[in-house]
Amino acid sequence: MARPDESHSAPPRLRRWRDWTEIRTATLFVLPVVAVIAAFVLVPVIGTLVNSFYRDVTILPRRFIGFDHYRDLWASQSFRQSLWFTTMFIVASVPLELALGMIFALLLDVRTVVRGLMRACVLVPWAVPAAVSARVWQLIYAYNHGAANWLLSNLGISGQVNWLGSDVGAFAAVVLADVWKTTPFVAIILLANLQAVPRELYYQARVDRANFIQTFFHVTLPLVKPGIIAALLFRTIDALRIFDLVYVLTGGGPGGSTNSVSLYAYSYYLNGSFGYGSAASVVLFLMALVLSILYVKLGRFRAEGA
Amino acid sequence: MNERRLQIILLVAGTVLVFAFSLAPFFYMALVSFSADHEFLAHGVEFEPTADHYEAVLTGSSLHFLDYLRNSLIVSALSAAGAVMFSALAAFAITRLALPGKLGILFFVLIVSMFPQIGIVGYLFKLMSSLGWINTYMALVLPYIAWTLPLSLWVLVGYFSQIPRELDIAATVDGCNRWQILWRIIIPVAAPGMFSVFLLAFIFAFNEFMFALMLTTDASARTVPVGIALFQGLHGQTPWGDIMAASVITTLPVIVLALIFQRRIISGLTQGAVKG
Amino acid sequence: MIFQRRRTSAAFGLCAAIVLISMLASLFVIGQGCGNRGPRSLVLAVGGAPSELDAWESLIEQFTSETGIAVTLLRQPTDTDLRRQGLVTALDSRQSDPDVFLMDVAWLGQFAASNWLEPLDPYVEQEVIETEQLFRQVVDASDRYQGRLVALPVYVDGGLLYYRKDLLAQYGYDAPPATWPELVEMAQKVQQGERQENRSFDGFLWQGAQYEGLVCNWMEVAGSAGGGFVIGDSTIKLNTPANNEATTFMHDMIHRYEISPRNTFTEMKEEEVRLAFQRGNALFQRNWPYAWPLHQADDSPVRGKVGIAPLPSFADGQSVSCLGGWHVGMSRFSDMKDEAAQLIAFIVSYETQKLLAMELGWNPARTDVYSDEEVVAAAPHLAELREVFEHLTPRPNLPYYTLISQVLQRELNSVLSGRQSSQDALLSAETQAQKIMEQYGTP
Repeated sequence: MARPDESHSAPPRLRRWRDWTEIRTATLFVLPVVAVIAAFVLVPVIGTLVNSFYRDVTILPRRFIGFDHYRDLWASQSFRQSLWFTTMFIVASVPLELALGMIFALLLDVRTVVRGLMRACVLVPWAVPAAVSARVWQLIYAYNHGAANWLLSNLGISGQVNWLGSDVGAFAAVVLADVWKTTPFVAIILLANLQAVPRELYYQARVDRANFIQTFFHVTLPLVKPGIIAALLFRTIDALRIFDLVYVLTGGGPGGSTNSVSLYAYSYYLNGSFGYGSAASVVLFLMALVLSILYVKLGRFRAEGA
Repeated sequence: MNERRLQIILLVAGTVLVFAFSLAPFFYMALVSFSADHEFLAHGVEFEPTADHYEAVLTGSSLHFLDYLRNSLIVSALSAAGAVMFSALAAFAITRLALPGKLGILFFVLIVSMFPQIGIVGYLFKLMSSLGWINTYMALVLPYIAWTLPLSLWVLVGYFSQIPRELDIAATVDGCNRWQILWRIIIPVAAPGMFSVFLLAFIFAFNEFMFALMLTTDASARTVPVGIALFQGLHGQTPWGDIMAASVITTLPVIVLALIFQRRIISGLTQGAVKG
Repeated sequence: MIFQRRRTSAAFGLCAAIVLISMLASLFVIGQGCGNRGPRSLVLAVGGAPSELDAWESLIEQFTSETGIAVTLLRQPTDTDLRRQGLVTALDSRQSDPDVFLMDVAWLGQFAASNWLEPLDPYVEQEVIETEQLFRQVVDASDRYQGRLVALPVYVDGGLLYYRKDLLAQYGYDAPPATWPELVEMAQKVQQGERQENRSFDGFLWQGAQYEGLVCNWMEVAGSAGGGFVIGDSTIKLNTPANNEATTFMHDMIHRYEISPRNTFTEMKEEEVRLAFQRGNALFQRNWPYAWPLHQADDSPVRGKVGIAPLPSFADGQSVSCLGGWHVGMSRFSDMKDEAAQLIAFIVSYETQKLLAMELGWNPARTDVYSDEEVVAAAPHLAELREVFEHLTPRPNLPYYTLISQVLQRELNSVLSGRQSSQDALLSAETQAQKIMEQYGTP
């Protein structure tokens, strides 16, 4: 993991003479990346920002309206509900994924006959499109014939649960489906960190007669902390923009209780209300920006500390 | 010794749980796809095995599943190829050449990768409609390239910087110019890494949902995730059996890929995620 | 070292092959992307089930052979929202295709106000298009915008009560319910009896999921209590005693009388309701006329056991049926307007309407087809339906109706799920709807 800035090391004698042409070539090489990102990410982001200050609907002429959309967003109960859901979703799913991911990573780290197979299996939920797996979960949670209710009744717990029909049920359903899909990702990141832990430390711990719980908390955990931070932030930002899962699984229901901010904005785009949808997107964008700057800062902090 | 036994029990139980947790939904998916009636778990409905759903999905032109699959494969392959090409060039410049502000570029790209898609898709929709590209592959491929570039770039920078510098110094002495260094030295040596990037970018593009939902309108460009999410039967009912059959067909190659390229995918993912 | 070289170059070869294949694929794509329709060809956008698309395919063939005008069918998805999105995309970017398209009655306001629809009055005056026989009420309520005729109905739909004749008779009832309380009483009694044998049996199924269908169901119940949308020049009222009564009643059917299952508000759309009823798992259902021929199909377990009736009402109200159906219009950006008008005339002609009724079970938009002998023989229920279709209640014809509907769907659904009282939800919906009106009602 070499730092890129230390990479260039031409002999000092040649340096001045070569620098100019080299910078030109390097710029040329970087240009496609910058151009594509500028055209298809930055320009749209700025366009969205600008659009959020306009009344932009298909049925009326476009008109500048300043911060009206933002004021309406703030006043809208359903928008606040979507903020609330998105926040609660992060709070509920990310720690669960981290905890479970840690357990998975520990298991994947142990040398057993099935390790390779297990690693491949764990990848599958992550690699299957969320929209596809959400369809399966939708059927699992179905009221009359779903696997979840079938399981409950066979376990002797009576009564059909209308999973997607109550606030708590729908929320839990979304969280569970998300945990299923993204725990592998967390596990793989943590696994990479686990494998970097020097085996001598475990040996030492055993000599010190530490049991495996003590070993975990005193040896393993501090050493995989960077991985945990990376996974935490990646997952937080990913959970912030949750869309496909709720779109397919609950459609935001019941009564808007699982409406994520992305879904909220999308529903306005779909109705041709681009200005208002843009304003809602900008709010989410700002949240993501704050989090990602935080991430980069934390990442640097670690680089200096390491 | 007791603790050792406990450890083994935990290990076995954990392993079984991991397998069950990861695969149970797929098992259910497969069961439903082979069942004549998707309500076979309901009271008084029998499980009746059938392959009808597969036949419907693979031969019925009305469901357009094969169109979706073709679109998905083409779009994902193009996007991944584009991402690998562009990011290889940039990663070469960043790791090998003097470029002011290269760290800045890397962090800028990283932050871009964290933007929510919804903040882009509304304007993208307008952009693509003014270009007349709505419902074409272009409407998806270009944004997907932009979308997967950050990951590709970070992973490739990781791989490229591990290649010993002596190799290019030797090549320079032999009279290679920079293009030749990239083509003859770096790319062949980093080929496995580039293949990882291709796989990752492919999976990302294959799984993308929101852009595909908004920027395509019918089977001529719609991709599998959107197709499966919006599958409807003859009168608007949800054809669960067909959906699950299509899901199985979509999932199978993913499982095969995961089995064969498990190491490559994991190495790419960890390169991308642990950096920074 | 040599072995390693080999391996890396093999991997490189693999990569190169993949990139190469992608490139070839892209060439293929570019070649295909610039698809060429004939130089002068009308484009007709229709969506729906395969059988519907097939019917359209044979219809346009016939049209082409009669007029010599080539028509390309643009196949849209089944999902209503997506069909709208596809059309909005094309029209918002002023594309000349499609020239002619079908629209759900609920979008007409938006499309007309966006100035995407070519007025059809000139073609009616020139007698290219004949509108005499179309349901006058439907045309007036939905197809006129600011006095101009912007669309024509292709088929009409209205909500109906379907009931199981055999079960009602078995439990001692000789007629379907005329009022909601009667419906509750019958449903409870039959449900209790039937559940001894069939645990999945429910009294009354209707569309309660969060989508446009919920608004239709609500309008019917609310309307039969004397409520509904109250729309003034600059006000919209939803929180009225009648609406409150109706909304509470809808909640109670699920939670208090327990005649409608708990997944009513999560899963129940038209087909979920239709399929459960067809399995024999319900006494009553609210559905559109399309369910009728399906219930009478040879393999239907309820064949011959089903009756249809107007929806019940509250004691002092009248039965209300929500106007649904699809309409045809012409794009303002069409580059073949005269030909497009001929196609529209063809679609609303007697022969086409008859064919659609016979092949697809669509309810003709022309009154004269209802008395056609062949049609009556093939679909005897149509005669009864005509009565219902004379008195359909349209959804508000507002340009921003879909935005209001979206709000109302969410609020009503939250009442059905028990998250909110009907009063709170109606008040909240009213406030939001009022805001939408203020924002988008003025230029």
